[in-house]
Amino acid sequence: MTYFFIIVYSITLVYFALSERVKKFIVLLAIQGVLLFGIVFFNLSHVALAEFIFILVETILVKSLVIPVFLNKVRKDNGLKRVHETEIPVFYSVIAVTAILMGSFFISNYLHQQNIHTKFFTVAIASAVFGIYFIIIHKSVFSHLVGYLIIENGIFLLSLAVGSDIPMLVNLAVLLDVLMGVLVIGIFVNRVSDRFQSTSIDELAKLKD
Amino acid sequence: MLVYYFILAIAISGTMMLFKNRILNIGLACLFILVQIAISVVAVSHHEVIDSVYFKFDSLGILLTIVLAFLTPVTFYHSYLYLKRYTPLAGRQSIYWGALVMLIAAMTGAYFAENVALLWVCIEATTLFVTILVFHSRSKTSLEASWKYLFISSIGVAIAFMGILFLTAISVESGPKSLSLADLISNSQTMNPIWLKIAFILVLAGFSIKLSIFPLFAAAIDAKTLAPSPVNALMSSALVNVGFVGIFRFYCIIAQTEAVGWAQNVLMITGIISIFLAAIQLFKVKRFTRMYAFSTMEHMGIVCLALFAGGPGYYAAILHVVLHAFVKSGLFYQLGQSNYIFRSIWIKDSGAYFKINPMGALVVLTGFFSITAIPPSGLFVSEFLIFKALFLKNHIMVAVLALIFLTVIMFEIGRFVFHLLYDEKPAHLDENNLQINRYETISQFLLFGFAIYLGYNPPGFLIELMNSAIAILN
Repeated sequence: MTYFFIIVYSITLVYFALSERVKKFIVLLAIQGVLLFGIVFFNLSHVALAEFIFILVETILVKSLVIPVFLNKVRKDNGLKRVHETEIPVFYSVIAVTAILMGSFFISNYLHQQNIHTKFFTVAIASAVFGIYFIIIHKSVFSHLVGYLIIENGIFLLSLAVGSDIPMLVNLAVLLDVLMGVLVIGIFVNRVSDRFQSTSIDELAKLKD
Repeated sequence: MLVYYFILAIAISGTMMLFKNRILNIGLACLFILVQIAISVVAVSHHEVIDSVYFKFDSLGILLTIVLAFLTPVTFYHSYLYLKRYTPLAGRQSIYWGALVMLIAAMTGAYFAENVALLWVCIEATTLFVTILVFHSRSKTSLEASWKYLFISSIGVAIAFMGILFLTAISVESGPKSLSLADLISNSQTMNPIWLKIAFILVLAGFSIKLSIFPLFAAAIDAKTLAPSPVNALMSSALVNVGFVGIFRFYCIIAQTEAVGWAQNVLMITGIISIFLAAIQLFKVKRFTRMYAFSTMEHMGIVCLALFAGGPGYYAAILHVVLHAFVKSGLFYQLGQSNYIFRSIWIKDSGAYFKINPMGALVVLTGFFSITAIPPSGLFVSEFLIFKALFLKNHIMVAVLALIFLTVIMFEIGRFVFHLLYDEKPAHLDENNLQINRYETISQFLLFGFAIYLGYNPPGFLIELMNSAIAILN
């Protein structure tokens, strides 16, 4: 079952590369949250109950509900519909995401380590690298926020890959980081849109001497 | 004890933001200064003692907290002047004070964090408060700077977190599952070197935005261009020291293993590229804030070279970080005054500063000698020690290359500083409406004086702290 969730998670990365609609980005992020919940549900049953419940809440409540709802509000407030800002054709992005997935698969095998779960590690690295790629090819601050969340989801998977029981304190900190990061960055997206009448990063280039 | 410190800091910050009262803000700021000094005293008296489970009053933390304790009252005084000049709204003043208090608390937490995950949390917290402070003027450009800083810093810190996760994985294999620095150092020799190298490079890349070095320096430079001058002073001193602590802690882990040579080479490449980029970028700068921001990048590049040299370089690195904090903050406090006089941060809008404000001009001139490490600058001593270490270790090419870049940087900074001091008076300046506070420069002279004194005649306890901080490396 875990493999099913991981494969579907990889497919969501391909869909991110294919999509141009902002609404679809939000739906894909919500799906990723549900998939992370599934992965946790089937793999972390051995940890302490309180910690298990906490991680479940983190995935299902925060990642697949609170954040998508907040992003949807930001989308509506700013009238964002479709992103045309990427200069790289979708076809090349699909090739790129495939190459990233294959590359992370080879790296995982090369760096084979007894206590690292390769199944999580492959898709975690792919997610983090794809998040960076997503940020680079897009020119809207909203898309950058989506890219940041893809990286954060990759890091969540990475924490499962490297032993899966990080102390509760760290889990709490990571959750706060994601929540605060998204809320603060989201507020800034609104501010940028209000001030510059656009969410394009081309507007944010006044600082260079 | 640190738990009480954080609770007090949160209470003070929260009260400031909630009540939005100018007099209350000043009272609470004074209270926080006392709290900050008190925590430094407690740290000194509890040397090497674990506190609040995840913190430790270690030598490096104590040293940098003492520096912060010196900078806190000066920053608050200059913040008071800054807000009086530019921010009439009580609400925005309160947000400024609240965020400043929390930034200092987060930096103190980062200095003393004994757990790498908590260190990461404290560093991440600094991002949030710096963003609020950079956005203080609410202008379009400050929005751009704060957005870039928030976003790139979040990405950088996320990358660093990946490094911490890798470290978790290899520490599980090699020993007890703990993210305590002491445990990680004691288990480091049994860690898989490939994973350790990956973890180190991720942490170095991630925290580079805090240390203001290659590769993520750009957002830090932009933020420093627009931040209020007292905040800039802290960002270029205490916050840079936070970045140093972050990287130094991980360096201490990798330094116990056979991968130390590799890590030193990575630091050398990072350091040289940072100094080179600073030298190139200084040809293009048009604002004083940006000039000093690139100067910070240059100095942190030198610190990377000191770690690369190893041996006596370690001592010189820590001395350099301490002295740089005093000198750079002094320069930024003075920049606050000159910006106010010329009503601009642009170099082209300045000139004849010696005629307009002789005391301020003297600070700028002293600051120029100090920051370019010309004797009697304290930084001359630390840079001399760093280059001596490089030559002793036979890294002649690296040293010569760095010296060439430093010469270019010295020329560029000199060109801009002498324009400010001796060029013609700007046409827009209305001398009748100038309000010059002569006492404002006292703090800057004191800071430069500290840097000279500590460079040439460091007190015994300071030497002990520095030697103790690097004992694990020798």
